[in-house]
Amino acid sequence: MHMTPLIIAALSVAFYAFGYYRMPFVYGGVLFQVAYMVLRGMELGRLPLVGPHDTLFFLSTSFMLFAIPASFSLKNRQRFMNPVTAMTVCFMFFAMLARPQSYPLPPVLRTFWFEVHVAFSFFSYALFGLAAVLGLLYLVYREEGTEELQYKIILVGYFLFSVAMIFGGIWAYYAWGTYWLWTPKELWTVILWLFYSLYLHARLRQWWMGRPAALLGIAGFVIVLFTYLGVSLLMKSSHAF
Amino acid sequence: MSNELKKTGILIKILKFFLSLRTAIWLLMALLCLLLYGSVVMPVSEEFQALQAVPLFQWMTENSPDITWWLWAAIIVCSLLTANTLLCSIESVLKKRSARQWMLVISPQVVHIGFLFILLAHLLSSYSSFRGTAVVYEDQGLRLPNGSDVLFRKINVDMDQTGYIKDWSSDVEYFKEGRSLGTDRIGPNSPSFEHGLGIYIKNVQLKPYPVAFVEVSKEPGAVWALIGGIFFMAGMTTLLLLKIKKEEVMG
Repeated sequence: MHMTPLIIAALSVAFYAFGYYRMPFVYGGVLFQVAYMVLRGMELGRLPLVGPHDTLFFLSTSFMLFAIPASFSLKNRQRFMNPVTAMTVCFMFFAMLARPQSYPLPPVLRTFWFEVHVAFSFFSYALFGLAAVLGLLYLVYREEGTEELQYKIILVGYFLFSVAMIFGGIWAYYAWGTYWLWTPKELWTVILWLFYSLYLHARLRQWWMGRPAALLGIAGFVIVLFTYLGVSLLMKSSHAF
Repeated sequence: MSNELKKTGILIKILKFFLSLRTAIWLLMALLCLLLYGSVVMPVSEEFQALQAVPLFQWMTENSPDITWWLWAAIIVCSLLTANTLLCSIESVLKKRSARQWMLVISPQVVHIGFLFILLAHLLSSYSSFRGTAVVYEDQGLRLPNGSDVLFRKINVDMDQTGYIKDWSSDVEYFKEGRSLGTDRIGPNSPSFEHGLGIYIKNVQLKPYPVAFVEVSKEPGAVWALIGGIFFMAGMTTLLLLKIKKEEVMG
């Protein structure tokens, strides 16, 4: 299994590179990513969702899994898929830099609530990432429909993120006797949730539509990255890597 | 202008303030700033270590306002946000009650109700939660805050060939005034509940003799948080489905 991740990642990157010329290659790239996660899952006997290697890879794959269907509603698909592909490859690269954690899970993590909590969190992070790309595209090209799509994607991401938080609370209650812990990670999770609540409310007002909303969508992904990577790496928390 | 009219004018201004979406946006921004500040000071102030062990309000009154001010401010903002959410939701339902797509009108309000229940849960837990830890041996008893006793009969450990502890559990029996109330088994993610108290086994150690690190906790807001979570998810699900449906019809 030592070389398998590298080979699959290299194949995936190669397909994504060709994807700049022909879209079907992108589908090939994402298939290789899914195949790698299936292999990892079979090796571990669970969803590969623990540690920076697996979570970064999961996030990277999720970008593409959501981006492909979302791109169909855009006039210029390639213009959207190119930066998304770059982001996917970038996160896959960072995943490959981290060592896979293949030891058995501690008993407290062996529960349905944990897996759903983490999977939904990363799905929502991926959607917020796509929303940031759409925000950038709107600011650069002013293409009709991109900001509207950004709003829709954030709405779905917000729903998944809320579900992840609720399931996380249920898991924490069963594991630690409380649905809330006063740690920087929990606080940043609430900051992230409040930020997107702010976005959804602000966008109801005419003034916030368009450029301000696009900027908020971009800022949101910066908060996502800090909540996911910054807090886990820099601060002591229940979610440390 | 008479005093009566002045008072009415002020009341209308207050009502307009709370009925405004702009107020909600500003309050959310203020709350975000306070929590951002809190997330920076929390890891560097030692006092916050004790926050996990006692209810929030108790901790806040026992510590200096120099480190708790942002939490007091956040509570004030949350109170204003509660009033804003309630009034906006009521106004929205009343204004749009004859709308054709009534479910689309009501769904965000269901989400708001869920949010308010979650705030209520935090309020209750901040006021009267309880948390106590102990290290227990096999056949050792603990007196619970509600007056009953819990006896840890046996500590079970599942170990692999390398000595890694894969799983653990403990058989417990409850007593009240010497009379057995029943038995249960606790393990990771599988606590036992006795009249609102949760009994948790956090860790075990086998040598020199089996001991378990246990925790007894009371979380009065848990049920309300769950109800809030259900409302929130139900509201969001209907909102999303209706928006997709609306899109299909318009498309």
